[in-house]
Amino acid sequence: MLESLEKIRQETLARLKAAQDGAELDEINVSILGRNGTLTGILRSMGKLSKEERAALGQAANAVKKELEGELAKRKTEVGEKMQALRFQKEALDVTEPGKPGRLPGRLHPMTQTYREIRDALIGMGFTTFEGPEVEYDDYNFTKLNLPLDHPARDMQDTFYVNDRVVLRTHTSPCEARALLNVEPPFRLIMPGRVFRVDEVDASHSPVFMQIEGFVVDRDITLADLKGILLTFIHTVFGEEVRMRFRPSYFPFTEPSAEVDISCTLCGGKGCRACKGTGWLEILGCGVSNPHIIENCGLDPKEWKGVAFGVGVDRITSLKHGITDIRLEYENDARFLKQF
Amino acid sequence: MKLPLKWLKEYVDFNVSIDRFVELMMWRGFEIAGVEPEMPITNTVVGRITAISKHPNADKLQICSLDIGESEKLTIVTGASNIFEGALVPVALDGAQLMDGIVIHPTNMRGVHSAGMLCSGKELGLTEEDYPGAEVYGILILQGDHPLGQPIQEAVGMDDVVFDIELTPNRADCASIIGICREAAAALGQKFREPVIRDIQGAGDASEYAAVDVLAPDLCPRYVARVVTDIKIAPSPRWMQKKLRAVGLRPINNIVDITNYVMVEYGHPMHAFDLSCVADGHIVVRKAQPGEKVVTLDSKERATTPDMLLIADPTKGVGIAGVMGGENSEITENTKVVLFEAAVFKGSSIRHTTRELHHVTDAAARFIKGVEPVNAMLASQRAIELVDELGAGRVVGKAIDVCNVDTADRVVSADIAHVNRILNTKFTGAEMAAMLDTINIPARVEGDALKITVPHYRVDIESSIETDWDIAEEVGRIYGYDNIPPTLMRGDTFRGRLSLACSQEDKIKDICVLLGSYEMYNYNFIGPGDLNALRLPEGDEKRLAVKLLNPFGEDQSLMRTTLLPGMLKSVALNCNRKTGQGRFFEVGNVHVDNNPDLAEERRMLGFAFTGEGEDFFTLKGAIEILMERLGLDEEFSVAPGGGEYFQPGQKAVLYLQGEAVGEMGTIHPDTQKAYGIPQKCYIAEIAMEKLMERFPRTRTYHALPKYPVVPRDIAVVVDESVTAEQVRKAIEQAPVKVILENVALFDVYRGKGIPEGKKSMAYSYTLRAEDRTLTDGDISGAMDALVKSLSARLGAELRA
Repeated sequence: MLESLEKIRQETLARLKAAQDGAELDEINVSILGRNGTLTGILRSMGKLSKEERAALGQAANAVKKELEGELAKRKTEVGEKMQALRFQKEALDVTEPGKPGRLPGRLHPMTQTYREIRDALIGMGFTTFEGPEVEYDDYNFTKLNLPLDHPARDMQDTFYVNDRVVLRTHTSPCEARALLNVEPPFRLIMPGRVFRVDEVDASHSPVFMQIEGFVVDRDITLADLKGILLTFIHTVFGEEVRMRFRPSYFPFTEPSAEVDISCTLCGGKGCRACKGTGWLEILGCGVSNPHIIENCGLDPKEWKGVAFGVGVDRITSLKHGITDIRLEYENDARFLKQF
Repeated sequence: MKLPLKWLKEYVDFNVSIDRFVELMMWRGFEIAGVEPEMPITNTVVGRITAISKHPNADKLQICSLDIGESEKLTIVTGASNIFEGALVPVALDGAQLMDGIVIHPTNMRGVHSAGMLCSGKELGLTEEDYPGAEVYGILILQGDHPLGQPIQEAVGMDDVVFDIELTPNRADCASIIGICREAAAALGQKFREPVIRDIQGAGDASEYAAVDVLAPDLCPRYVARVVTDIKIAPSPRWMQKKLRAVGLRPINNIVDITNYVMVEYGHPMHAFDLSCVADGHIVVRKAQPGEKVVTLDSKERATTPDMLLIADPTKGVGIAGVMGGENSEITENTKVVLFEAAVFKGSSIRHTTRELHHVTDAAARFIKGVEPVNAMLASQRAIELVDELGAGRVVGKAIDVCNVDTADRVVSADIAHVNRILNTKFTGAEMAAMLDTINIPARVEGDALKITVPHYRVDIESSIETDWDIAEEVGRIYGYDNIPPTLMRGDTFRGRLSLACSQEDKIKDICVLLGSYEMYNYNFIGPGDLNALRLPEGDEKRLAVKLLNPFGEDQSLMRTTLLPGMLKSVALNCNRKTGQGRFFEVGNVHVDNNPDLAEERRMLGFAFTGEGEDFFTLKGAIEILMERLGLDEEFSVAPGGGEYFQPGQKAVLYLQGEAVGEMGTIHPDTQKAYGIPQKCYIAEIAMEKLMERFPRTRTYHALPKYPVVPRDIAVVVDESVTAEQVRKAIEQAPVKVILENVALFDVYRGKGIPEGKKSMAYSYTLRAEDRTLTDGDISGAMDALVKSLSARLGAELRA
């Protein structure tokens, strides 16, 4: 019996060693260690033996069983790992193949994205949104804003007229008049919206474009505060490294007036095609509110001061994304819209 | 405004680089848009031809040896025949840029190396007026002696640069050489050498020759007339012609050139009449008579209207005031007596005239921007000085001056503390006065105020509530905006926020994006053709479009009443460009002209779905998700209906709690065709306000079911005319004793096994109870109730 036990042991160890997969190991488990297995058979047949023989054989058989079970478990792990490695190899992917997009969300128009960015920068400074109509009274668009009928500056912007009293607003500034007449000062307002000018469409002109006006009215707001607001705004929207240039200009709505340039976002100020070699990009016009506007809207300009600035959302969008033709922003070519 | 550097140097010491000057002017509020060399030629120098030999391989070519002042001589091949040994000629060297962008490089000409090119006057952009011999056929032969190697610009006296300065409309005074040089001097920190006009003491009095009557003094505050007799018409001197050309004017003759020169120099438009053509020498400044016509200097007959100002004599018009003189009194070779006009015409009147005539002249533009009476007198004096200097005639001593305006110095007062308050500065009155002095504005401190004597040309500085701001602007500009440190706003604190409407719009747009749609921005302009393409019936509200008086064209003459035309055009563009298909949305305003005051403005949300995989129900599904995300799903329903631009049977009105808020549908084939769209297109348009007034909705928590939920299906056969909505309601409203939820249509079947005119509709639903697990009896009871309800309400039969 001991010999056959040893034989089983030898053979089984050899078979375990040779086994290549889990099924083979299971088969060995069943045929040797299972209920009807050969080793189990030996243990079962021990009943016929003497007590001493039984003890000796039992001990030996249990030792073999333990050994084989241990070996089996070891081999199972080994074969399992090997099998898994093989499977992994088989299932290995070319990870450089393109990803699968599934159902994609769309995109906000780049101008909406720019608008939100500008707006959020100002909200951080305590501004609130305020809107006015696109079809607007001439009075709000011009007269109340220090542009009486025969003012030469009315020629600066060619206007779409609806009738002699109503125009398509040429800027978001009529919202200033509406705010002064309707909102209790002090206030800080962001006034976004579409504006219209008689400009033939070309790469840099559009008869319809989007502006954001900022308007602060308070007792002691100054030109220096305006610089502070704009510097913060520019740093938020364009980055801390961008420099601001605040140079004298003229607008009928403000006095003193300024135009604001930023160091070119493409070349960093060294001069490139985008900035026409100057290193600077003009981004907005601004100033201290002309006292006539404050007075026209029923407030005392010595008591209430205003500062205002107007930003072209189209222009900022073009600058930010390097868009060289403004027409693209109103054409809605899907290939364009998908880029932002 | 063009400013030649050499002209500037007559008044100011110029001791900085061009770039620095551009920057200094920028800080003063004068943007220099361009710096143009008078002669835009590079790397071309004076050379002497030392030897000429024949080209061995070409009869018409000659080989020149050139000395350009360097140790090595150059060899250049030329085809010109007017050259000779010893001639000084322009030599374009390697890399030289000539007119029309031609660039010169060394080249091999029939086996002989040519180091550059000898230039003709034309290749240098020169005309006979610029340089004698410039238009001769062949090489330009330079006159006189010149250092070899000298830049050609210097050799021909064309080495100036011209600044192109963009003026702001408040500084009309700077639209003159004198005015801009005054500012340039201050920017450079130099003294301005103000020119002094020599007083010409002529014999006599202009009133012996002429009379001036101003019948419309409100439109003509001053009219100064000077008379010159014994006129000798001749070309003006070369220096004057050169300066006129430098600023873009064409020299004509001495008298006309004088008026133009004074206009450029002093900024005041002038006109010269041949006095013999003015009846009785009598100038009448009056409004035009009805139907009166004037033939102007450009030989065009112009019909005037009675609100236009004319210069006339007792018999006829001799000019349109401030715009253009009449042909009948033009200066000719035979002119013997001239009347120089230096007048002030009201800008708004001239502006009106130019608009009516559709004709703007340089003079008119200046009157529109504003001229002033003191300068009118100065200009007339300067013209007379030039007549004398040029020997163009005999000056009659005394001027005729019809002046209806106060020309005395204006003194304004500024509040020193208030000026500082505007700028956030702390200047003393004396410091402000010193700054103003640098731009020739005298000021003195008087208590808390600055008393400023405003120079006559600074019409922009007013005595009004604006004075403090005017002075703040000047002080800030002179001190330098850049030197005022930025500050943070003080005072009350504010809660920065989006208005409710803005945040709602953000949310709606974000959901539209999640639904896979790309945002469009379309123009607001549409045309009558769009209204027809949309098949809008007469009287439809969408036909009430705001009409523009001055549109680009009829197709852009209306403000949109619906987002559809813009969206359809963009869809067509994408189809034509084969950019793929997709989902688009737009949020924008439409206007309905239903109000005598301002048109009603409505903000609309539009969807446009097109292309593979899209149909009526993908669009409807997107709208359902939008409503669900906004918390409006329980209020949302649709019913057949909608505009004529949709295909019948594939259109629906969208409702929230029974109120129509929009519509959707498949675009009608005719409309689709009108926009050139080759495929089906599904459009919805929803009134944003109607959505916004109903949310934000706060959802209330529903307790999660404690007991199992039982899913079940039911399929019924109904008549074709029965709608999904009816079936759903019949299920939902069936009197079941347990909770019935999540009723959803999942299949509609027609065909085999279903009788003609009927359809099978399969719904899923769930059942549960609040307090127990459902029994089989509960479930079969519910099923029976459903079948009964469906049968009773819709004649539905359970599908076998």
